[in-house]
Amino acid sequence: MKLNVPMPVKMVLLVLGTTAFYMYLGQIVPQKEVHPPPPVLIDPGMTTEDLIEVGRELVNGRGICMDCHNDVRAPAFDGVGARASSRIEGLSDIEYLAQSLYDPDAFLVPGFAQGMQKMNEPPISFSDEEMKAVVAWLQSQGGTATVTLETDLGY
Amino acid sequence: MSAINLPLVLALLAAAGLMVWRRANTFTWLLFTWLSLWAFFKFGLTVPIPQSVVTIYVGIMTLAVVSYASSSRERLSETVQPIVRLIVEPRFRLLLAALLIGLPALAAYNVYADMSAPLEAPGFGREIHPAPPPEITVHDETVNMTTADNPYLHLHEDDPAAWEEHLESGRRVYYENCFWCHGDGMGGDGMFAHGLNPVPSNFNDVGTLPALQSSFVHWRIAKGGPGLPDGGTPWDSAMPAWEKFLTTEEMWDVNLFIYEFNDFEPRALGQH
Amino acid sequence: MSRNKILFGIGVLAFIAVIVTVRLGGFLVDNEYRQPERQVAVEEAAGEAEATPRQQGIADEQAADEAEARARPYVEAEYRTVPFVGSRVTVWVLAQLHLLFAAFVLAVPIFAFIIEFIGYVTGEKRYDRLAYEFTKLLSVSFSMTATFGAFLTFALIILYPKFTNYLMHIFSPTFLPYVLLFFLEALFLYSYYYGWGKFGPKMHLFLGFMLNVVGTAIMFIANAWLTFMMSPGKREDVDGDGVPDFVSAVSESGALLSLRDAFFNFTWMPINIHRIIANVAFGGSIAAAYAAFRYLQAKNDEDKAHFDWMGYVGNFVAIIAFLPLPFAGYYLAAEIYAYSQTLGIQMMGSTFSWLFVIQAALIGNLFLGANYYLWLGMGRIEGTVHFQKFIKWLLIAIAICFAVWATPRYAISSVSEIAAMGGSSHPQLSYLGQMSAKNTAVNILILSTYMSFLLYRRTGRTSIHPHRQLLTRAQAIVFSTAAMLVIFFGVYGYQVDAATRIRFAIPQVYSVLAAMVVITVIDLPLYRNARQAAQTHWGKMPAISQYALIFIALSFTWLMGLMGYVRSGLRGEWHVYGVVLDTSPDAYTPTLGFATQVVSVTVLIFFGLIGVVFWLSSLGGKKAYEPQAAADADGQLEGA
Repeated sequence: MKLNVPMPVKMVLLVLGTTAFYMYLGQIVPQKEVHPPPPVLIDPGMTTEDLIEVGRELVNGRGICMDCHNDVRAPAFDGVGARASSRIEGLSDIEYLAQSLYDPDAFLVPGFAQGMQKMNEPPISFSDEEMKAVVAWLQSQGGTATVTLETDLGY
Repeated sequence: MSAINLPLVLALLAAAGLMVWRRANTFTWLLFTWLSLWAFFKFGLTVPIPQSVVTIYVGIMTLAVVSYASSSRERLSETVQPIVRLIVEPRFRLLLAALLIGLPALAAYNVYADMSAPLEAPGFGREIHPAPPPEITVHDETVNMTTADNPYLHLHEDDPAAWEEHLESGRRVYYENCFWCHGDGMGGDGMFAHGLNPVPSNFNDVGTLPALQSSFVHWRIAKGGPGLPDGGTPWDSAMPAWEKFLTTEEMWDVNLFIYEFNDFEPRALGQH
Repeated sequence: MSRNKILFGIGVLAFIAVIVTVRLGGFLVDNEYRQPERQVAVEEAAGEAEATPRQQGIADEQAADEAEARARPYVEAEYRTVPFVGSRVTVWVLAQLHLLFAAFVLAVPIFAFIIEFIGYVTGEKRYDRLAYEFTKLLSVSFSMTATFGAFLTFALIILYPKFTNYLMHIFSPTFLPYVLLFFLEALFLYSYYYGWGKFGPKMHLFLGFMLNVVGTAIMFIANAWLTFMMSPGKREDVDGDGVPDFVSAVSESGALLSLRDAFFNFTWMPINIHRIIANVAFGGSIAAAYAAFRYLQAKNDEDKAHFDWMGYVGNFVAIIAFLPLPFAGYYLAAEIYAYSQTLGIQMMGSTFSWLFVIQAALIGNLFLGANYYLWLGMGRIEGTVHFQKFIKWLLIAIAICFAVWATPRYAISSVSEIAAMGGSSHPQLSYLGQMSAKNTAVNILILSTYMSFLLYRRTGRTSIHPHRQLLTRAQAIVFSTAAMLVIFFGVYGYQVDAATRIRFAIPQVYSVLAAMVVITVIDLPLYRNARQAAQTHWGKMPAISQYALIFIALSFTWLMGLMGYVRSGLRGEWHVYGVVLDTSPDAYTPTLGFATQVVSVTVLIFFGLIGVVFWLSSLGGKKAYEPQAAADADGQLEGA
């Protein structure tokens, strides 16, 4: 007795089976939907506390900072608020953080390579107000945030 | 070489040596290769390989074995012949019957084992024990996470009667509030546990309570799921913030009780 | 067909017709308009009913609606939607189908031309026939490409009118040349196909050459449109500090500044190179699938031999193009990184990182499938078991490399597994998840596949070269040196810092490429006029080898769908990266599971259509319809 499956049937089964197998691979990996970050609104009355909150959202959302700042590709943020004032002589913590955002290649933390984009340029395109919010959040990591909407970041 | 399971590897090598000596046929070799690699991936390393990766490896290996067996007419017939002989020759009838019962039974056992495995949250992408904030405020009282300790812990030596009292209070608090999710035996298997993701902590696990300072446990009790930092996402723990329902004393009592119940010591201050 | 069968068929049809009539009648009767009983009673009581204020009110409302409709302003639509499927998936599937057919139409002339040229130089007729067989597939596919291209254009205009308009703003000068080139493509394609054997060989080869030139030019233009969406500008060291700066081709609000920069944008050339190579690999595999299809249908030995050989050549083309493809992909990825680190990290590090684990599975399958086909091919050659013993070791090497490549950096693991590993990566396996290990694995994969080719080539042949022993040893030394270099750099990569490690990929690639070139150069004289110890029997392949060819074609198609998705999905919520934001509801990045479903559906549609292409192409070889035979059949019917 020999089972004789016609060639076209085998062909269709092969096509369906292979496609189904690859589709199955796609189903067993972690599933994540990435939505465009919601717009973050900064109104003029915001205090430093509010700015920290907005900054936190920007760092985790639109800025996609956490993809790299995990001590693998780029330094992690733990305690950056305490370190910021002593990184470059003559620059206060706000000035140092602003420089790292507007002109990231100006100073590289030893052990890490350049490659970060200027955060005021596309695709991230932080506005000056949003930059202040990010600086406020960075200061709050191990330090005390002092930046307000009136602060001039110098860029 | 403590990374690999030496007895297993030695046993597999010995078996391979035996097969070389006995000049085993292609079919036996393929079967042996598949089984021994499966065993190696599953049990060969002291730190077990995650199941998902074992599946990938076993899949690739199966593809390789099948393509080797079918990649020439000679090898195909060498591989298939023992199977055909097994099926048609009368002297193998007993073995065939055993296989016919054994293989489905193995599959059934596999399904059973899969289904009866304890329910586990996938660990991917979520910190189980996220770093706590430097300090928390519970009932207007600031608790420093690095230096705080259970204020009643010392009573164990100093005042056993008071210690018993606090323990009893903790027992009452636990069985009024916590056991619904964390379970009667604190296995993280309470009556509501199966509806929750992440699942409630299993306090019997040596990886949970002994690895944590009692201040960490206090933080988790007081602030619950809403107090988790971002690292605890994407799933929000359903644990309530107990500071809204319990006094500070009750929370430390239940903290004491869950350690005592499981016979664990909190991780000492400053120990890493 | 016998009368009984016809009667039976009529019976079934009549039965269905009766049921349909009854159901339709019932439906019409049920839905017939009847005035409500209450209404009838009221009308009868009132006699001629007066116009009530209610009717006046309805008339007023209608008049107001009409006035409003007349005054409605024209609003430019930004997006339109497709029910059920959604705009994004519609455009996605259409673009992918267009691209698959286009890739095939562009690729086949490349190797048809080369094969025809080989036939011209060697004077062997069979090459000419083979090239013609490949070309036969083109005309239907060309129509399919054009149809899907038009379909895609309409879909873009209808569903993304504002964005399409923006692309027109940037690229309007390129459309006319594109259309003209398309005309030329049609001209050269049909003259190449219909003029087979009608022109002199040189003239015909010239037509084939021009067909390739025009086809490539068309692709380069279309590539500019899509690469602009990813990288709207170039990188150039403007301020002279040694670090390339971003020079945008458009203003901040998107107005065109330089068509030149928009066209020759940063990722244009990498995509061009990557696509040409991938197209040839894909085209070869599809042509091989066609040969497999015909082989399985073939009734006589001659056809079997011919299509076996055609499948072999198609697969050969596919694999030769596939070997450098990982390098081209690496180059493209490196250029994307260089253009924007943000894009690069989106690709490899975060959103799409798991996609590359699936890619590893596909590429591993492709390598395994290709080698498998070659090993089966050794069975064509009589009584040679000499090289069979190597297959085991090649297979082991391939399986290990495949496993290394498919090892994820961070495995999916449960809580208890994480606890056992003491972190989200395994203490030993995490080494295999890193770039060094993966580069090494892919290089060894390429070397192993090349080795399979070499073994296949010398199966059944004995060299008569005077220094054959020495040369074979030299080959072995070159091969093992390359393999050792690759492994050395792979292992040494763990001892150095990240920046140095990335640069190690280059010597690895060069040692593999150099080894392949040197070994081929030695091999050519070594086996020139070699003694044929055994006969090659084309057409004596087990059927499973042909299914392997179809499997390879499927995997290629699916891989193209997947990589097309990541190239396009990479931009995230941008139409044009950093310039035009997608504000439609489809702006989000779907889950990988959903994306693979769309890819699978696209692949199935493509294979359905390519099946039609195969069938149409195989009609050419069928016997002509003869009225006599049909009349005979009728006569039989009368007699029955």
